[in-house]
Amino acid sequence: MFPRSTVCRGAQRALRRQAAHPAQRRGLAAPASGSFQYQSGEAKGVKFASRDFAGPTTTLALVSKAGTRYQPLPGLTEGLEQFAFRSTERRSTLRIVRESELLGAELNAYHTRENLILEAKFLRDDLPYFVELLGEVASSTKYLPWAFNEEVIPLIHMAHKKFLASPVDMAVNSAHSLAFHRGLGTPTASAAPTPYTKYLDPDTIEAFSKYAYAKPNFAIVANGAEQAELAKWVDQFFDNAPASFSGEVPGGAPSKYFGGEERIAHDGGNAMVIAFPGSSSSTGQFYKPEIAVLGSLLGGQSSIKWSPGFSLLSKAAASPSTHVKTTSAIYSDAGLLYTTITGSGANVRKTAVAAVETIKKVAAGEITKEEIQKAKAAAKFKELEHGQDILAGLELTGAGLVHGSKAYQIDEVAKAIDGVSEAKVKEAAKSLLDNKASVSAVGDLFLLPYAEDLGLKV
Amino acid sequence: MSVPSLAPFIAKRKWLQAWVKPLATWYTNAAGYRQLGLRADDLIPEENDVVQLALKRLPPKDAYDRVFRLRRAFQCSVSHQLLPKEEWTKPEEDAPYLTVVINEIQAEMKEREDLEAIIVSKREKNTKEGH
Repeated sequence: MFPRSTVCRGAQRALRRQAAHPAQRRGLAAPASGSFQYQSGEAKGVKFASRDFAGPTTTLALVSKAGTRYQPLPGLTEGLEQFAFRSTERRSTLRIVRESELLGAELNAYHTRENLILEAKFLRDDLPYFVELLGEVASSTKYLPWAFNEEVIPLIHMAHKKFLASPVDMAVNSAHSLAFHRGLGTPTASAAPTPYTKYLDPDTIEAFSKYAYAKPNFAIVANGAEQAELAKWVDQFFDNAPASFSGEVPGGAPSKYFGGEERIAHDGGNAMVIAFPGSSSSTGQFYKPEIAVLGSLLGGQSSIKWSPGFSLLSKAAASPSTHVKTTSAIYSDAGLLYTTITGSGANVRKTAVAAVETIKKVAAGEITKEEIQKAKAAAKFKELEHGQDILAGLELTGAGLVHGSKAYQIDEVAKAIDGVSEAKVKEAAKSLLDNKASVSAVGDLFLLPYAEDLGLKV
Repeated sequence: MSVPSLAPFIAKRKWLQAWVKPLATWYTNAAGYRQLGLRADDLIPEENDVVQLALKRLPPKDAYDRVFRLRRAFQCSVSHQLLPKEEWTKPEEDAPYLTVVINEIQAEMKEREDLEAIIVSKREKNTKEGH
């Protein structure tokens, strides 16, 4: 077995060195301010954050508080996402595409439960062009009825089909809606065509865009851009975005956990999600680092090739073709710790039973100290690796700025994980079992167990 | 589809417009489509991709009205009759609704062709640095 100290030492050293001599770190290949720390600021009411990573490329994102949680009608977030980078008052869709192609850039728009993210990756020199483009998308997109019919609806329809074909997606969304009902529970894609045929039209999308792109509701986040330069361009190009939004959107109320059970018959495979209340983002109020450690302790996925990994659930998996994965989904004011099990019906059943047994074991304290240490190291590594991965931090940082005007600082999160004690992990596991669980089974319902059979409260 | 037109040339010159206007009004009335309740845009030949696409892009209400006018005109034509005078298209109703969309589509197509024919040159700064 790999001794823990060797796994950890690199990361610890990296952290220590960074804290001790931030200025000395600049070598040949090092950036001017080479830390995971985002510097945040505000220009004419638009919040922005940046970190100056070394390298010739920049990733720029507009993170708006307009995920499915905040949509007043079903499908609006998806509609708005598909309208991003389409014709604006100044440029046509085609021109935007061709210009970005000429600059060698990549444009992307996607949404999560809480955020809508418009993202551009490009060469460092082109920062002004893309800040201007994001400004244009935010303030002067044309929501044309024909573009909606010809370009937007088919894409939403495709997302719907894709969603229907995936038992895992259905199970995860079903668990979220059991856990949070409305708000965070709103599914990220439509399970039926009704929402986007009945409620969606260009006018409502335009009205929603006035909310999504109002200055207090979005943030600009950049990786690999100088703070001063970003500030200059943000200051210049976001004049036309609405200064505030006066209407009402849902999702503002703090999330409440409900829990329950849902079973959906499906032909395309078997998936089971067992979810418990988790931790909010570190920028939120209910931040519990022990949940991240518990998540990596339960784990399920191996990080080492040709080995099931050390995590408890990877040992519990009934067969090598049964996939188990524990995710700690963090949102601005709540979270969900969930285990996803996929595979053949009988194996999913066996694994689900074993998974609950394992959680009970952790709660009872029948877990060695070494395993908790390993879980801590893995959780911390994941977090720090997250920091190096450019995309991961973008959404969290933007969301942190929009929700609580605080950027998501990966270094701090890693430190918080270090401070988790063994007792706290046990306590967290115990609290999972005391609370109501959200259990969702999708697939062959004859084989998949009920929450009652697993010994969970729902 | 658009055809070469003298109209913009004439509209720019007030004196010429004053001359031509009565002639144009007489000609449009003599063309006879207004007596069948049609609009000028209803007469645009639709057997090509551009106009087909434009028809698809019409708002539902406009598309419905267009079909109604066409069917009414066919009916009149078959029965060799004109509409009663109060149902004739009034000059102020005879506004373009399809041409606008056609122009947009043609502008789009032209833009696409222009972009296809684009000649890309390196930025000066990058040429110097030898990117």
